[in-house]
Amino acid sequence: MGVNPERRIKIQVKNLTKRFGDLLVLNNISFDVADGEFISIVGPTGCGKTTFLNTLTKLIPATEGSILIDGKEADPRTHNLAFVFQEPTCLPWRTVRDNVAFGMEVKGFPKDKLEERLEYILNLVGLSDCANLYPNQISASMIQRVAVARAFAVEPDLLLMDEPYGQLDVKLRYYLEDELIRLWETLKATVIFVTHNIEEAVYVAERILVLSNKPTTIKAEVHVDLPRPRSLVDPKFIQIRKEVTELIRWW
Amino acid sequence: MERSVANEVVKHVKEKKPWTVGRVLTNEYFLYVVSFFTFLIVWHYIAAAGLLGLATPEATLKEMVRLMSVRLAGKNLFGHAWASSRRIIIGFAIGAAAGLPLGLLMGLNKYINSIVKPVFDLFKPMPPIAWISISILWFGIGEPSKIFIIVIGSFVPCVLNAYSGIRIIDPELYDVIRVLGGNRRQEIFYVSFPAALPALFAGVQISMSVAWTCVLAAELVSSRSGLGWIIIRGMKLTKPELVLGGMAAIAVVAWLFSVAASGLEKVLCPWKRGIKEL
Repeated sequence: MGVNPERRIKIQVKNLTKRFGDLLVLNNISFDVADGEFISIVGPTGCGKTTFLNTLTKLIPATEGSILIDGKEADPRTHNLAFVFQEPTCLPWRTVRDNVAFGMEVKGFPKDKLEERLEYILNLVGLSDCANLYPNQISASMIQRVAVARAFAVEPDLLLMDEPYGQLDVKLRYYLEDELIRLWETLKATVIFVTHNIEEAVYVAERILVLSNKPTTIKAEVHVDLPRPRSLVDPKFIQIRKEVTELIRWW
Repeated sequence: MERSVANEVVKHVKEKKPWTVGRVLTNEYFLYVVSFFTFLIVWHYIAAAGLLGLATPEATLKEMVRLMSVRLAGKNLFGHAWASSRRIIIGFAIGAAAGLPLGLLMGLNKYINSIVKPVFDLFKPMPPIAWISISILWFGIGEPSKIFIIVIGSFVPCVLNAYSGIRIIDPELYDVIRVLGGNRRQEIFYVSFPAALPALFAGVQISMSVAWTCVLAAELVSSRSGLGWIIIRGMKLTKPELVLGGMAAIAVVAWLFSVAASGLEKVLCPWKRGIKEL
């Protein structure tokens, strides 16, 4: 599907199918993602978004189909995958600094590179001031920022985000979406961002994949070629938002 | 710190309020003191009235001071306290060194768990003191038989807490390391062990109090030293102040042990700090 032909293809998802017993959840999904592209995935409630992500990251095995990163079968051991979960997940026994470093430690980054990148990321995300606090001393939104920083820190081939800002208030969500875009533009990661919030999807993504109800397929894709920073009241923005809403509506 | 909307500010503020009578009366530490003195006063009047065969707090304290210099069976009070403590330290160390790793292994490996659990469950509800006869049969009436009872007593809570410490770990924490491509060894060292550490300390605390029960029981049965023996001695001589002095000494030493364990936990689990009385 519609990757801009001028861009190099990074991720190829081919005929991805997932069955739980005889319940077909993911039905023959295929799409490509360009290197450094920001994709949003939206779909109706319960359409299998989380199953989709878990299959992509190999947390659960796919029944059929394959996921290729740079032409090779995706594997968390060899590729740098990063995941930002719906629930904020920090390791409670590690400080903010050590939580951000965690992914790099697991990935076996050399010590000097780890230190250097750690400071860089902490500054970039504005976590330096609370680097020595423990997760139980900071708020849930901060914990989510730590998780985002940890994900970007490993220089991921593919960064997956599962409604990371779903539980935050609107003001903070706008702020963190801007921060996410800034991180993405600075660090040039390939991002798949799952959300049920259409406005959020149109705001952050270059391309939106709209999923259907179960058994899930890709129903449509929408290119969002609006300049950044985007305005929520720009008529073009509103038009795209309406278009996606029409595609997704189940009522 | 007003850098951005999402920046966190951590500040420990102590509000200064004027000291009023009401505040003094409801002050936590003031109430501690009230509670303690009320206890002493009630004790004193019951003892002074000749009820319940008790010695007064003053007599008990005086007896304890006397025991610090006078030797009883070759040891003063500190000697006896050390005799009991030594048994606990050795017995507890063996029990924890065997129990904590076993519990961790049971939590981490279902095959080990399936093999160990049936036998362990059989012995689990058995009071450690039930082992006294067998212990004396095997080890005689010397130190090893007392230490054996303590080993048994501290082993069980260590196993249980280490096991549950692993089992209650939030599965999402494992997801974090799995998507990063962590292997099983990394899962264990980066997630399982640190996550289980507070539970291990809970096990240590429980073991410690069980160990005191065990050492007392062992000393009551057969001994020429220790705080338990002081109590027996007081009973045989019908000296209530000696009995109560021994009991008070146990309370103090056992409390010191528990403070030491909490202190160690604060050092090793710094993220648990600030949660009061956990």
